[in-house]
Amino acid sequence: MAAAIETERLSKLYPGGHGIAELTMTVPSGEVFGFLGPNGAGKTTTIRTLLDLIHPTSGSARLLGLDSRRDSVAIRRRVGNLPGDFGFGRETTGRRALELLARLRGAGTERAAELAGRFRADLDRPLGELSRGNRQKVGLILASFHRPDLLVLDEPTGGLDPMMQEEFLALVGEERDRGATVFLSSHELDEVERICDRVGIVRAGRLIAVERVPELLGRARRKVTVRFADPGGAEELRRLAGVSDVEAADGAVSFHFGGDLDPVVKALAAHHVADLEVSRPTLEEVFLGYYEGEEGAG
Amino acid sequence: MRSPLASLVGFHLRERRRSPLAWGLPLGAMSAFIVAIYPSVQGALTKVVAQYPEGLKQAFGIGQLSSVEQYLHGEMLSLIVPLAVGYLAARAVASNLSGAAESGRLEVVLSAPVTRRAVCVGAFLAAAVEVAAVLLLTLVLSLLGSLVAGAGLGVGHALAGFAAVWPLALVGAGLAIVVSGFSLKTSVVTGVVAGFLVAMYVVDLIGKLDTNLSGIRYASIFRYYGNAIEEGIEAPAFLGLLALAALLVLLGAALVERRDLSL
Repeated sequence: MAAAIETERLSKLYPGGHGIAELTMTVPSGEVFGFLGPNGAGKTTTIRTLLDLIHPTSGSARLLGLDSRRDSVAIRRRVGNLPGDFGFGRETTGRRALELLARLRGAGTERAAELAGRFRADLDRPLGELSRGNRQKVGLILASFHRPDLLVLDEPTGGLDPMMQEEFLALVGEERDRGATVFLSSHELDEVERICDRVGIVRAGRLIAVERVPELLGRARRKVTVRFADPGGAEELRRLAGVSDVEAADGAVSFHFGGDLDPVVKALAAHHVADLEVSRPTLEEVFLGYYEGEEGAG
Repeated sequence: MRSPLASLVGFHLRERRRSPLAWGLPLGAMSAFIVAIYPSVQGALTKVVAQYPEGLKQAFGIGQLSSVEQYLHGEMLSLIVPLAVGYLAARAVASNLSGAAESGRLEVVLSAPVTRRAVCVGAFLAAAVEVAAVLLLTLVLSLLGSLVAGAGLGVGHALAGFAAVWPLALVGAGLAIVVSGFSLKTSVVTGVVAGFLVAMYVVDLIGKLDTNLSGIRYASIFRYYGNAIEEGIEAPAFLGLLALAALLVLLGAALVERRDLSL
C-alpha cells in the first residue's frame, strides 16, 4: 500500500524568509501522525503545500500515491482538511457550507448529522455568531463527513472544551480503526501523546526529528522537585550528567534533567526523600530538548 | 447530481441573494424617478439644453432631450448605471474569490475536488446572473415609473438600454478575476476595477470632447457600450464586450491557478 504522505526535499521559500526547507518525510497509511512546532515553524505552510493551496518552490510531495500538484483534484476527493483558523463567511450557516461541500464531493450528509449530534454542533446558526470552539466543531464535521482516506487537521482542538476534546480524540481513534490516516498539527502535548503514533518536530521550516511518542517524551527534559528529610543532596545532583538548573530553597531542591534516569534515582536513594514530584514536560520543554540536541549536533 | 460549477454558482447566488434588491431597488427607484419627472420638466429642459455647448451635449450624450429615452440615457445610462453595475459585478466576483479567501471559505472549498478554474468561472457566472437581476429590476421599475407618469418610455428601447450595460459590467467582472490572480484582497480587486471603469469613461469622454483625440475612444469599452436605448444594441460591440469578458475570465483563471492561495 502506498504511503499516505511522502515528501521529498519539499521546499517553499518566501521572500520574508519563512516557509519550509527540504522537508523529507513519510507517513504510512493508517498512522496518526502529529506535526509539532512553535508558531511560524512551517506547520501550516507544509499542510497548504501538501494540499496544493500553495505551490512548492522545489521538491515534491505524493499523497495517497498521487502527485500533489498534477493529481491535486483526485487527491482532494479522498482528503478531508480542517484549516488552522476555520472560517466560511460570517453569514453562512454550517448546513449551507455542508450542502455545498457534499455536492462538490458527491457525498451524502448522513454522517455529518451523526457527527453534529456527537459534537453538539449547531449547523443552523450563521458561523459569525458562533464561538471559536463551536465554529471549530463545524469545521471538523466538514473535514470528516465524507469519510476521507486522509484527514489533515491544523490545530484541530483549538477552542474546544475538554469534553469535546475527548470526543475529538475518540473520533480520531475511530478514523484510524477504519484505516484512515490522520495528519495533525498541534500544540497540545497531552493530545499528541494520546492519539499520535509518531510525531515530526519542525523548527524554522526544517524537520528536525521524527519519533514515536514514547521516545519523544523520553528525550524531553523534566522538572523534578524533591524534598529531603535530611540536609544536602543539591550539590550531589549538580554533579550528575543531564541535570541542570538545580535550585535549593525551603528544604526543597528542584532541577531539570534529561537522559538516563538511573543515576538520578540512585543519587536520591542515598538520602531520606520526604517528597518527590516529577512534572510532565510541556511541549516547549520537548521542543527545547530537540533544539538543544540539534544545535549540539550542528 | 449537480456539476461542481452549478453547485458553486447556486451557492454564490444564495449567499448574495439580497444583492439584487440592495442594488436594484435604489437604482430602479432613481431611474423611475427620472422617467416619471420627464413629462413635467421636458419643456424647461429643452430650453436649458439648447444653451449647452454642442461639445458638452455630445460628450455627455445629452442630445436634444426630446424624448424620455434621451433623458434616461443622459441621466442614468450614460454613466451612473454602467459604473454602479460594473462595480457591483467586481464586488460580486470579489466576494467569491478574494472575500472568500479572506474569510477562509476559499481554502475549504479548494480542499474539495474542484478546480480553481471552476471556482473562477463559477464566481463570474454568479456575478453575471446577479448583474442581470439588478438590471432587470431597474428596467422594471423604470417602466413602472413611466407607466404611472405617462412618460411613454418604449419597452424595446428601455430593454436595449439596460441590456447593453450587461456585457460592460461583465468586463468589470472578468477584470476582477484577473486582478485576483495578483491580489486576493477585496479592496485591491474592487479598487482596481472601479479605477478601470472610471478611466475607461474618461478616455471615452476625452475622445468625444476633442475631435483630434477621437481615435482614443476605440481604446475605451464605453465606446462599444454606446447608446443602446436610442440607437439599439450594436450586436458586434455587444458580442465583442462579451468576448472580452470571457477572455479576461480565462486569463484570470490561469493566473489564479498559478498563484499561491495566500493573501
